[in-house]
Amino acid sequence: MQEADISILLIGILLKTTLQMATPLILTALGGMYSEKSGVVNIGLEGMMLMGAFAAVWATFLTGNPWIGLVAAALAGGLLASTHAIVSVKFKGNQIVSGTGIILFALGFTTLMLDAVWGVAGDTPEVTPLPKVQLPFLADIPIIGIVFSQLSPIIYLMFVLSILSWFVMYKTPFGLRLRAAGEDPSTLDTAGVNVEWVRFIGVVLSGCLAGLGGAYLSIGFTTRFRKGMTGGRGFVSLAALIFGNWAPLGVFLAGLLFGFLNGLPNIIQVLAQYNSDLAFLMNYIDLIAMIPFILVVIALAGIRKSRPPKGIGVPYEKEAAG
Amino acid sequence: MTEFPSTGEGTSEQGTAKGGESNPVGYLSGAPQAIIAKLTDSRFQKQVIWTIASIILALLVSAVIMTMAGYDAGRAFAYLLVGALREPGRVLQFATPLILTGLAVALAFKCGLFNIGAEGQLYIGSMAAAVVGFTISWPYLAHPILCLFVAAICGGIYGLIPGLLLAYRGAHEVVTTMMLSYAAIALTTWLVGPNGFWMDTAGSELIPQTPLLQDTAILPTIGGPYLHWGIFVAILAVFVVDYLINRTVLGYEMRAVGLNRDAAEYAGINSKKNVALTLTFSGALAGLAGGGEIMGTYNRFIHRWSPGLGWDGITVAVLGGNNPWGVLGGAIFFAALRVGGNAMQMDAHVPIEMVSVIQGLIVLFVAAPRAIMWMQNRGVEYVEWVKSEEKLPLDHLFGIISSLVGVFISFGLVSASTGNLLLSVSLLLVGVVAIAAFAIFLAKRRYILPIFTILSIAWLLTALVSFFTGILLVTVIAGVMGLLSITDLLLLRRRYQDRNIVKEAES
Repeated sequence: MQEADISILLIGILLKTTLQMATPLILTALGGMYSEKSGVVNIGLEGMMLMGAFAAVWATFLTGNPWIGLVAAALAGGLLASTHAIVSVKFKGNQIVSGTGIILFALGFTTLMLDAVWGVAGDTPEVTPLPKVQLPFLADIPIIGIVFSQLSPIIYLMFVLSILSWFVMYKTPFGLRLRAAGEDPSTLDTAGVNVEWVRFIGVVLSGCLAGLGGAYLSIGFTTRFRKGMTGGRGFVSLAALIFGNWAPLGVFLAGLLFGFLNGLPNIIQVLAQYNSDLAFLMNYIDLIAMIPFILVVIALAGIRKSRPPKGIGVPYEKEAAG
Repeated sequence: MTEFPSTGEGTSEQGTAKGGESNPVGYLSGAPQAIIAKLTDSRFQKQVIWTIASIILALLVSAVIMTMAGYDAGRAFAYLLVGALREPGRVLQFATPLILTGLAVALAFKCGLFNIGAEGQLYIGSMAAAVVGFTISWPYLAHPILCLFVAAICGGIYGLIPGLLLAYRGAHEVVTTMMLSYAAIALTTWLVGPNGFWMDTAGSELIPQTPLLQDTAILPTIGGPYLHWGIFVAILAVFVVDYLINRTVLGYEMRAVGLNRDAAEYAGINSKKNVALTLTFSGALAGLAGGGEIMGTYNRFIHRWSPGLGWDGITVAVLGGNNPWGVLGGAIFFAALRVGGNAMQMDAHVPIEMVSVIQGLIVLFVAAPRAIMWMQNRGVEYVEWVKSEEKLPLDHLFGIISSLVGVFISFGLVSASTGNLLLSVSLLLVGVVAIAAFAIFLAKRRYILPIFTILSIAWLLTALVSFFTGILLVTVIAGVMGLLSITDLLLLRRRYQDRNIVKEAES
């Protein structure tokens, strides 16, 4: 192969890895946006992802159809999120404490079910993943052809949902109500809208999307569920949400950035294989793994100020009638 | 469940007759009156009742989950209890780091901050303690103190960074502490790895870990192989944090900032300084937890050694109501759960992750005291309603029991009907409807008739489905449940129709 071909291939692989790493982050962060825009902090995204990843594999295992698994993931995430909604919206509990409980529960529950369903401790047996999609008209374009070859359909779903989220958030009455519930719930209440319901729906939607993000990890990117397989991606998504300033486009871009940083160790490995001058980088792989986290901290502190919704984290108390 | 300490509670908000006193002797001698004042305080009593109710509810839900997953819940709980009781030394050993990380999180909570990254501060502290422990030779007694001191300092610095970023740059502490904690784990893994500075090269296998600590640096054990002197450090920390929060000007300012930052600023309190200092102290406590574990339990730094102690600190702080003495009780309770969980896994064959489920449920219930209040009110309301009826509402009672039994039967049959998707789905549907029916029976009598109609239809449909798939056992059970439900539905209909007629006549 020619020198130029290799670098094009490398750029293609780099972009593809970024996209693959970013997809669960973007889906989950978009989910978090629905919850936090409506005024409910959702620390529990990590747990909802995990639940989605597990439900996807379980349903696929039972039915043999990964598409049912995908739906099950969204439902399971939404179900867990509704627990968070009941605790923090209906009973006005502490949202952060509730989210912590959600994570603990999901981590324990999914691992427990590994034993209950398959009798294993770490990995489930392999299931059929979602079929990879090859868009015919993109294959011949130089770099894009490499990036968009054999991608999981969830990645395309992610693009659709990103655009849809922008539309829902800014162009529909529901989006307006959702944002109002987070910025100024008492005004929304005065306008005759049930704030609790709006927030409830926001939280449940966040769980559905986080569940899809988890499903990408288990039946999109791999073929099985592994104990604790989200590995903190829910928190990284939360960071992407804050970094993206609680807006769909910002979340999308921040997700791509974090996906790139998350995939950096893998990318370095590929680079080191192709170029022996860069092989020394493998010695520092753990240090390189640190960089994304440090960058997030620096970015949050220095580059831009993000502004959370005003009413976030505060349960809405309706004033007593009469 | 009885680990909640009632001693020393007097030191928080209510019982402080001598606010601002800075004499430690006076602090101790003033304690008894304060304890009595606190114990008779109704808010405190309510909090304790809620916490205990949360634990009981969590255990009940766990029992349902275990039964549905096919485990023997009774056996599991028995071993959980026995396992915890027969190894008190082990429980206290597990509790030692939890007390410290719990204090770290609770202290930050008091100032309105959520230190979600105690895990990272713990790693930095433990790494520092290990390095000082194996590179330097100091005499006994002085060496461990030096190690712990360095651990606290390094953990503190690692907490100071997000503290400063929050105070002066407005960087959200949840994200920064979390990110720094992943960074700390990656950093320490590299440091003890083959390319780092402190890998143990003596052993035959190259595991990413430091050499063993010098003998002088290791914390001696107490009365058995497990418990070590770290427990005294942890208990001392409880006293110190309690004193800091409730008896010093600094603690007062921290609490003020936690309650309302703007009001505190208005009152002349420098909230930035307090935020930075709180996270520093919080980090120091987490670092201390890490150092103590390395010097007392592991005797060397092993990469990724912590089983989520920083995380558990959050749970402990939540359960302890962010009160230092509550944290002590919460830590011992969770340690008991962990130790008991090992016995449960060994002897009852329930995976230890069940403990994590129980913890999560407890935290969820603790998060929503109003949920418990709501249930209490519904219960009282229901009893009053039953009393107000002329004769005992048997049909009603039967409805409750049959929907509750239905929940268990349907979910139980799901695990028996493997392989048949349609039947599983319809059984799951019945289960969900039955849960809803049970809840509605207790809560809103308005919707009883529709939900019970749906439940009856769901049972009959399930019977039909199972008849066509040839699983006769399910057909019989579902059919009987369906017929019983319909009979009861007719009785209920009569009751409510009669009432409507009476109401119409009255109006």
